[in-house]
Amino acid sequence: MASITTSHSPSLSVTLHSKLTAVSSEPTGSGKTHHELSALDRAMAQHTLHMVFYYRDQDELFGLYDLDSWRESLSTVLTMYPTMTGRLLLEQGHDGNWQVRCNDAGVRVVKGSVDGTLSEWLNSATASQEKLLASWNHMPIDPTTWSPFRIQVSNFKEGGVAIGISCSHMLADLTCLASFIKSWTLVHRNLPITNPPSFTPLPFSPSPQPLSNGHAKPPPPQQAKDMANATFKFSSSTMQQCLSNIHDICPNATPFDFLCALFWTRISHLKPLKNNDQTHSLSICIDFRKKLLKEPIPFGYFGNALHFTMLSLEGEDLGSVVSAVNRHLAGIEEEEIRCAIERLGSSNRCMYGEELTCVCMESLPYEAKFSDNEKPVHVSCHVGNVAGKGLIMVMPSCEEGLARTVTVMLPHEELAELIKDEAILQLDPTTLLSDI
Amino acid sequence: MPPMLPDFSNSVKLKYVKLGYQYLVNHIITLTLVPIMLGVSIEILRLGPQEILNLWNSLHFNLVQILCSAFLIIFVATVYFMSKPRTIYLVDYACFKPPVTCRVPFATFMGHSRLILKNNPKSVEFQMRILERSGLGEETCLPPAIHYIPPKPTMEAARGEAELVIFSAMDSLFKKTGLKPKDIDILIVNCSLFSPTPSLSAMVINKYKLRSNIKSFNLSGMGCSAGLISIDLARDLLQVHPNSNAVVVSTEIITPNYYQGNERAMLLPNCLFRMGGAAILLSNRRSERRRAKYRLVHVVRTHKGADDKAYRCVFEEEDKEGKVGISLSKDLMAIAGEALKLNITTMGPLVLPASEQLLFLLTLIGRKIFNPKWKPYIPDFKQAFEHFCIHAGGRAVIDELQKNLQLSTEHVEASRMTLHRFGNTSSSSLWYELNYIESKGRMKKGDRVWQIAFGSGFKCNSAVWKCNKTIKTPIDGPWTDCIDRYPVHIPEIVKL
Repeated sequence: MASITTSHSPSLSVTLHSKLTAVSSEPTGSGKTHHELSALDRAMAQHTLHMVFYYRDQDELFGLYDLDSWRESLSTVLTMYPTMTGRLLLEQGHDGNWQVRCNDAGVRVVKGSVDGTLSEWLNSATASQEKLLASWNHMPIDPTTWSPFRIQVSNFKEGGVAIGISCSHMLADLTCLASFIKSWTLVHRNLPITNPPSFTPLPFSPSPQPLSNGHAKPPPPQQAKDMANATFKFSSSTMQQCLSNIHDICPNATPFDFLCALFWTRISHLKPLKNNDQTHSLSICIDFRKKLLKEPIPFGYFGNALHFTMLSLEGEDLGSVVSAVNRHLAGIEEEEIRCAIERLGSSNRCMYGEELTCVCMESLPYEAKFSDNEKPVHVSCHVGNVAGKGLIMVMPSCEEGLARTVTVMLPHEELAELIKDEAILQLDPTTLLSDI
Repeated sequence: MPPMLPDFSNSVKLKYVKLGYQYLVNHIITLTLVPIMLGVSIEILRLGPQEILNLWNSLHFNLVQILCSAFLIIFVATVYFMSKPRTIYLVDYACFKPPVTCRVPFATFMGHSRLILKNNPKSVEFQMRILERSGLGEETCLPPAIHYIPPKPTMEAARGEAELVIFSAMDSLFKKTGLKPKDIDILIVNCSLFSPTPSLSAMVINKYKLRSNIKSFNLSGMGCSAGLISIDLARDLLQVHPNSNAVVVSTEIITPNYYQGNERAMLLPNCLFRMGGAAILLSNRRSERRRAKYRLVHVVRTHKGADDKAYRCVFEEEDKEGKVGISLSKDLMAIAGEALKLNITTMGPLVLPASEQLLFLLTLIGRKIFNPKWKPYIPDFKQAFEHFCIHAGGRAVIDELQKNLQLSTEHVEASRMTLHRFGNTSSSSLWYELNYIESKGRMKKGDRVWQIAFGSGFKCNSAVWKCNKTIKTPIDGPWTDCIDRYPVHIPEIVKL
């Protein structure tokens, strides 16, 4: 039985010192001037993505700032990602949609510092404090001078660094963002890139439809609801135990299936149902790169390659829910993905949170090592502008194997209840970066 | 068609006439000596050896006369060799290559401009129009402090830029020439707009632990032509000090001078000036004769400061809001043209072949005596030089000089391409241009190079070098990784 001790140190503050623009080392050239956003990209317009990578930085790579080698490796890697250094603009014509003009304008890099050590931070900072490590600037009406990508390098006292990267969800999803950071670290260590970025469009994009309410506008700033975050880390041994417990019911369950089902069932308990014949539904978000398709999209595809699939809750038995999730995910076919994308149309809606959403993330983040022997100590992910039903993100952990980190975003009262939930506490999770 | 052909055949005839005239006048001495020598040899052969011996005996030499003649000859020879100015060799030079993190694409420059000058859209428009027509490319570099929003031009950042530029160039020079820091006898650093205490030359002496009896000089405030002024100073010093090495460092530190206001005439330098620097090793040691790249032939300095308009045309002052910037006046080009005319009037007699000088003299006499309406003859400087390095001050400067000196596209290619790749790096741009010519494999032994620089004051300085040995490609320098992409076509207006 784990006891939760969350002490909030009000003294931990993040100071932002300066902002500059980092550019690619070579000009894009006349080859690629404009990048069309796919229908799926445009559908994600309401959201933003934020990732924070924490490193102990024992080799002190992030000390001097202006003359550091990470600035050079950043410029070199940006040459391979022309859409990251471009600017958003509206296509000509009445029904103009967003597109990226690859003009080498660069990404903003912000320098910050924390008046605490890395350990103090990971022990006692809240999720809302963590948002300051990946500070964000909302898109103005005229985005010609607005950088859609923003990197923040924050130094902790006595060593340690947090690298925050934020972007508009129209241009990237979690996989390609993590892939970019990994490529950056590989360039820094002079190793070849494992998944070079690819910008060839998705094989099934419907023809762009005119927007129903005039031309595209920048998304509104933050969500209205009072949402809170918490992160739970489940160790490999615990996951091993859990999977063996339900082995009879669902022999090939993955840690994602288990955790998704667990959190879904526990959260459903907390959420009131409006009428009796409604069932709790879950929207599962998976990445369809390199699988499920006849012609797989390369893993380096830079853009959104997410599929949202709905599932309804039947029964309360954990085992059966795990099976249901497992079966559902195994049964996803290319046709379903194609239909989903074609149905996207032109509405400006929230893709995350209108139903309780659960995101499955690949193993990339902990492969981003700036020095040969130093993995990130922790990686956090957040999605901006999530609607009221909430978001669950299942990600890999620093500890390898079956260990997982789950970040939950729910309305404040519901999260407060969830943290005390017996079924979850039984699995002995480590809680960190929690708002409660 | 009948009227066309005669013109064509006339111009061909004219070309051959001109060539014949040039050959005749330039080799007049050879052409007169050869028949004389032929005559003498024929005469000697005709006389026969016995006759010659009789002629010799009849001269009645005695020992005293022979000794005196011998001493006279030795004395004259010694005086000649002693009073000949020492030859100044340019052993080698190194140009600073900025790190890739300092690159400033057009979109970044305009983005920053819009954010910083958000209350002055007209000034932003102006900067955009200047940048479109500037002739700069997407790979020019600004120092790290200018990449911040807003820029952080602290003294520490300025010193940081100076250290980055000067030390990189000097390390590169040491590596290329094998020079040891303790062997530097003379150090001259020129940087117009940044002059801290202790000086930049003291900074170099501190970093490389140079000798305590070094002769160091720091030239500041002398504009973009200060590089050639430093070369002139080094030359004079090397005449006085035998067996010495002189290192000249030319640079311009941009960090403290990035104009932060919105006055249009002062925003112009922000669009054109970029980070750069060069370190040059000069020597008067005979031992460097073999490996030196160039020999300094002439340096001509012209100063038009006596004219008030010329004095004020590049002027550092405060704008209405008290922000300091460099204001460029509208008649800059006209003044530059006049300064150039004055410079080439002095330079012409020193370098032009006899044929051109004769023509110019005849036309001058003709204009004075016969008819003032005759067009003044513009000497053809392409006869005097194989390569031209025109300070890449801006597209207009290069266009103006190309027109005035009637140069071809290939002659000004080095200047245009340096402006495109590195921007206006002030006093060091001449060295980037020279490096371009070498990287293209065009520099052969005996080639003459003319470096022309303009600067505030208003000054026009030029230097003439003669190539000492053919320079083989590939060479190590700032153009190494991009020389194959050049020359590029630079459009009149780049659409931003």
